[in-house]
Amino acid sequence: MSENKTLKKAKSVAGRLPFLLVAVLIGLLSWLAPASAQQKFSGTVFFDYTFYLSNDGPITTPPTNNPNFKNNFMNFRRVYFRYDNKINDNISFRLTLDGDTVKAVDSSGKADDKFRPYLKHMYLQVNNLVPDADIKIGMADTITFKLAEDRWGYRSVAKTLLDGYKDITGKDIDATSADIGISLSGKLLRQVRYGVMLSSGEGYSKPEKDKHKKLSSFIQLIPVAGFSVVGYIDYEKQDVGARAYTYKGDVYVEFIPNLTLGAEYFVYRNDKNLLDGQRYDRSGLSVFGRYNLIPEKLNLFARFDRYEPSDLTDLDEISLIIAGLDWAPLHSSFKLQPNIWVYDYKDLLKKNDLIFNLTFLMSF
Amino acid sequence: MKKITALIGLLALLLVASLGLTSPASAQKKMIQIKGSDTMVNLVQILAEEYMAKKPGAAIAVLGGGSGTGITAIINGTCDLANHSREWKPKELDLAYEKGVRPRIFAIAVDALSIIVNEKNPIETLTMAQVGSIFRGEIKNWKVLGGPDQKISLYGRQSNSGTYSFLQEHVLNNKNYSPDVKEMNGNAQIIEAVTQDLSGIGYVGVGYLYDEKGEVRKGLKVLKIKKDDNSPEYSPLDKEAVYSAKYAISRPLYQCTNGKPSAAVADFIRFELSPEGQAIVEKEGFFKIGKDLMEQNEKNLR
Repeated sequence: MSENKTLKKAKSVAGRLPFLLVAVLIGLLSWLAPASAQQKFSGTVFFDYTFYLSNDGPITTPPTNNPNFKNNFMNFRRVYFRYDNKINDNISFRLTLDGDTVKAVDSSGKADDKFRPYLKHMYLQVNNLVPDADIKIGMADTITFKLAEDRWGYRSVAKTLLDGYKDITGKDIDATSADIGISLSGKLLRQVRYGVMLSSGEGYSKPEKDKHKKLSSFIQLIPVAGFSVVGYIDYEKQDVGARAYTYKGDVYVEFIPNLTLGAEYFVYRNDKNLLDGQRYDRSGLSVFGRYNLIPEKLNLFARFDRYEPSDLTDLDEISLIIAGLDWAPLHSSFKLQPNIWVYDYKDLLKKNDLIFNLTFLMSF
Repeated sequence: MKKITALIGLLALLLVASLGLTSPASAQKKMIQIKGSDTMVNLVQILAEEYMAKKPGAAIAVLGGGSGTGITAIINGTCDLANHSREWKPKELDLAYEKGVRPRIFAIAVDALSIIVNEKNPIETLTMAQVGSIFRGEIKNWKVLGGPDQKISLYGRQSNSGTYSFLQEHVLNNKNYSPDVKEMNGNAQIIEAVTQDLSGIGYVGVGYLYDEKGEVRKGLKVLKIKKDDNSPEYSPLDKEAVYSAKYAISRPLYQCTNGKPSAAVADFIRFELSPEGQAIVEKEGFFKIGKDLMEQNEKNLR
């Protein structure tokens, strides 16, 4: 009996160990950092009130055996807590803890809705070691969709196309927002920017499962001010001897005052994706825009996504329209973002889902 | 169907409410938003107040935050006019190009960057090289410079400050500041710290040296600066030395817009550059701009 207790206690301590280590690391960094190093804590929190406006789509149909099906609910989605330490003008360090309820299961296997923090970023950034370029070493943002995410600007409302592909379709495309490795981003000319990254390929939430690494790169051409064309490719040999590639092209228009327009299209090819012995590709298209109606007060945004989980399957395509307002009633650190999601399925047997979210965003 | 109608109604209501609640700001849309340099914030605030007194109906809001903050705000389209006490960095120019922002820059005043110590410090003069060595942390004791045997306390600004970048570029030869520099939020905080610290040294814009009576603040000593060992010494308080560029660390204070300024913004800039505006610049302890800069401004206003 007491052996059991000791074992449980040990497990509980082991479970908390990563967070204790992170806390100790923050403390150490704060202590080691010279007095002048600029240290900054910041954070972002967003949560929704969600209301299903339809009741007959694949997401919104109540199951027959569940009279308490929640067609409206509150949902805390993300908490980011960042610590930035600028050691000098060329060296800085970032640590980000990300919290959500995705793996809200305790050691006994009981589910709850408690937030659990995990490590999103822990990297060292070195500027200008390579002329006009920044190097990041550690767990850092990938270069896959950072440019799109910056333009879309509404991560609180929806992830960008590749980031959210698995959430929408349930199909994996090996895209992650952060990964452990090394990246180099910079410019060759004012009109030509580039990025390369060598990473584990597993993302920030899983340990590396094989010896193979993912190699990613992009080139951004800006032929005229405010107009960018981006080409991206990544490659990873996978554990069963198969290869996986992502090809992506982006276009951004930013020269019209107060308006940002963007589009991204990608194809994901993996030798393991076979249907009747034939390889199929996954792909997606996203077109989005945001308009600044009153600076730092009121913006409008809209997006159209097209998801094609398999080019060999006819009726699996999904279209998604997202539209909404971004309103800062009191201060730019607190925003209300009412938004609608309309899912349209190519399969005519599936009716549209229509979902309303009132998203609350706070940052400090 | 009812739900969709309710939803559209709700969204329309939110849009109307948001427009209504920001209506001090539909007015605000017409309000000129200025952000940026802390060195310039008091000066531009006074210029704005004088301008608004002359032009009923004009509305200008001036915020600080540092030159970097102002430049970022112009790039992001969240202000009409940015104050900055340094030139744009290459990374900022690259970002502006990427986002289709075309900065137009106006010099509205000249600042003599002033090196200050506690009034009880016997040191009177430093060379540029000595100032650089002090802030890089290479000279750590006043004794090395002929002063008392005391560790030097360094007071400076954060890296989003234009003054931080200007001193780094022009005096520290682009090398890093000492990790011992205590980074203060603004000029006023540096002055406060140096007046209370016998071994303190800091750098501030010349306009911050004076009190309400127009005299150098009590507890401060403003050091004279020599370009090198063999050059004569000059004080930032010496107007003639600053106007003739004999004082080694003077700099223009800038404002910038995205593209050609709107009529309202251009009118305010014209006021700042007018004899009346330039008289305010001098009254606030800064220096008028010269003929060359004025001609450049006129070109950019067109």
